[in-house]
Amino acid sequence: MSALLEVQDLRVTIGSTAAVRGASLAVNKGETHCLVGESGCGKSITALSVMGLLPRGAKRETTALRFAGEEIGHFGEREMSRLRGDRMAMIFQEPMTSLNPAYTVGSQMTEVLRRHRGTPRAQAVDRAAELLARVGITAPGLRLGQYPHQLSGGLRQRVMIAMALMCDPELLIADEPTTALDVTVQAQILRLLATLQKDLGLGILLITHDLGIVARVADRVSVMYAGEVVESAPTATLFAAPEHPYTRGLLSCVPVPGKVKRDEPLGSIPGVVPRMRPGFTGCGFRDRCGQASPACEGTLPRQQAGPDHELLCTLAPGWHGRNAA
Amino acid sequence: MSGAAAIEVRGLRREFRVRQGMFAAPKRVIAVDDVSFSVPAGSVLGVVGESGCGKSTLARLILGLLEPSAGDVLVDGQRLGGMDRRARARLIQPVFQDPFASLNPKRRVRDIVAMPLIAQGTIGTAEIARRVAEALERVGLSPDQGGRFPAQLSGGQRQRVAIARALVLRPRIVVCDEPTSALDVSVQAQILNLLAELRRDLGLTYLFISHNLAVVEHIASEVAVMYLGRIVERAESERLFAAPRHPYTRALLASVLTPEPGLGVPDVGLGDIMPDPANIPPGCRFHPRCPVAVAKCSTETPRPASDAAGLVECHLA
Ligand SMILES: Nc1ncnc2c1ncn2[C@@H]1O[C@H](COP(=O)(O)OP(=O)(O)OP(=O)(O)O)[C@@H](O)[C@H]1O
Ligand SMILES: Nc1ncnc2c1ncn2[C@@H]1O[C@H](COP(=O)(O)OP(=O)(O)OP(=O)(O)O)[C@@H](O)[C@H]1O
Ligand code: SF4
Ligand SMILES: [Mg+2]
Ligand SMILES: [Mg+2]
Repeated sequence: MSALLEVQDLRVTIGSTAAVRGASLAVNKGETHCLVGESGCGKSITALSVMGLLPRGAKRETTALRFAGEEIGHFGEREMSRLRGDRMAMIFQEPMTSLNPAYTVGSQMTEVLRRHRGTPRAQAVDRAAELLARVGITAPGLRLGQYPHQLSGGLRQRVMIAMALMCDPELLIADEPTTALDVTVQAQILRLLATLQKDLGLGILLITHDLGIVARVADRVSVMYAGEVVESAPTATLFAAPEHPYTRGLLSCVPVPGKVKRDEPLGSIPGVVPRMRPGFTGCGFRDRCGQASPACEGTLPRQQAGPDHELLCTLAPGWHGRNAA
Repeated sequence: MSGAAAIEVRGLRREFRVRQGMFAAPKRVIAVDDVSFSVPAGSVLGVVGESGCGKSTLARLILGLLEPSAGDVLVDGQRLGGMDRRARARLIQPVFQDPFASLNPKRRVRDIVAMPLIAQGTIGTAEIARRVAEALERVGLSPDQGGRFPAQLSGGQRQRVAIARALVLRPRIVVCDEPTSALDVSVQAQILNLLAELRRDLGLTYLFISHNLAVVEHIASEVAVMYLGRIVERAESERLFAAPRHPYTRALLASVLTPEPGLGVPDVGLGDIMPDPANIPPGCRFHPRCPVAVAKCSTETPRPASDAAGLVECHLA
């Protein structure tokens, strides 16, 4: 199957920070691909690179950036803005990044459709109301006339999702869409995204730092650390047979009810996430890794740890001596 | 060891007057509404609930940083009301979510940790230096890090500073309000392990607030679930997680997404009505969102029912 989105060897430098250092990933049609990693590892910058929304002064290089089979790496702002909000849409952690406090929900939602498609007003209003109902908002007619600040955080997030869907995009990039929400609302929003994806055949790139979310919604996972995708695999494989020392460490850090007894220590990774300077070579995890060797300072081999399971590490797959069961 | 209460709260209530617009009449928000419980010495009471349910207000009342509108707080058997500030500081200390906001950026780490000792006004310089060094070592900070400024430390290291400052007076009780919520997962685990170790070694009592139920399950011996200012269920941790009795607790537990692939995202069944603390519904305050509510839930207020298993406030429990 050809990928809906294909990013190859993405590198982004912002001032004296190497924000992304050679990340590759692909999102297939109708698939949820989760990009997981800790603060500052480059998840948002990767997403913004795809959308053509990088901060001023950021330098981007890729060997390929393809959307629906077409190379878009050389697209200028005019061509990108035609794609954005139409065939590819993005939602953010903070809905107010995409909602304008000065306009009603209805006028913002219809504006998208009018701009990209020239849809007449009445028809656009119908579509907006239909989508609000679709994302589980009761009384959509009332909500269309309200301003964003009159809505709760959960409702705003739903409005933003509905707005992103106005033009029937093929790709939805969601950057920590539920991080600011209460757990009950988070579950509702994630469930909604999963349903929408199935019904509309959306490709979703979901960014999160929460392995619980990854396990529950992803078809495929890419684990990012210090600007690189260090491991990528189908979800079941990644949780059952993680290979990268960082992935393995991260999984042991997460408290799971009923798994680690109270007062027994959780697994943890010593040290802190480093900040990457341009020109840094080798594995960004080596200062925190119990398995590091001098080879980790050189170019890392991109290995196949199994079918569809990629690993960026000097260790041979299976190094931790697990018995394949 | 006796089962004496480290913290006891009786009929605690706190209201705020808030204005939702320049010309709107002020509204009354009942952030903590007639709450009573006690925390045995050496145990950990976890407090969970959604944003705005009153967790931080409860913490600030217990720390004496906020005056109750009604009711009492007893810490180690003594009424907080009339207690001297310095005596209180020797008994109970806070650790907050955002260590950056609570640490003075212009002071070095070791001076920040020394502040509570200096404020006592009775401790000599040599003794202060000795105890600061001891506290820093205890939380895993090097003497070199003691000479740095907060901005030169990572989030996890700053939280260690806040913990050292809380411990330097050797209090009996520590109130932790979302102590790991601002941290990365790998660093969160380090801090949780540290807090658990300190509690064991020093025999501390914690009030531990978090919106992360998995974290609370890991550290708390008992859990209180808050909803719109009330504790709607309280039980021993294992019991609460194994057999939640209140419909809200069940919804909260259902929304915990454990890292187990293939289970999908559960339907928590709560609808899209959000709780508003300025507009507490009549009857059971949870009834507009409750998936199992019956007719009397919207008219009759359920009373808290206590038994050996804990406390629950629901007509159907
Ligand atoms: N506008 C900017 N200017 C300068 N540096 C930036 C900017 N945005 C991001 N960076 C840097 O780029 C790196 C990657 O940041 P990014 O925002 O992609 O991280 P992230 O993985 O999304 O983290 P988080 O989980 O905290 O959102 C970080 O070191 C960050 O400090
Ligand atoms: N100083 C204050 N003045 C007015 N209202 C307040 C004040 N402090 C808290 N409140 C209100 O009291 C209620 C409870 O707030 P509190 O901060 O205790 O909630 P919380 O459970 O800690 O929430 P979160 O999870 O978001 O930290 C909220 O409605 C809040 O707006
Ligand atoms: S009292 Fe009624 S509304 Fe309240 S939680 Fe119990 S069943 Fe639900
Ligand atoms: Mg980000
Ligand atoms: Mg709070």
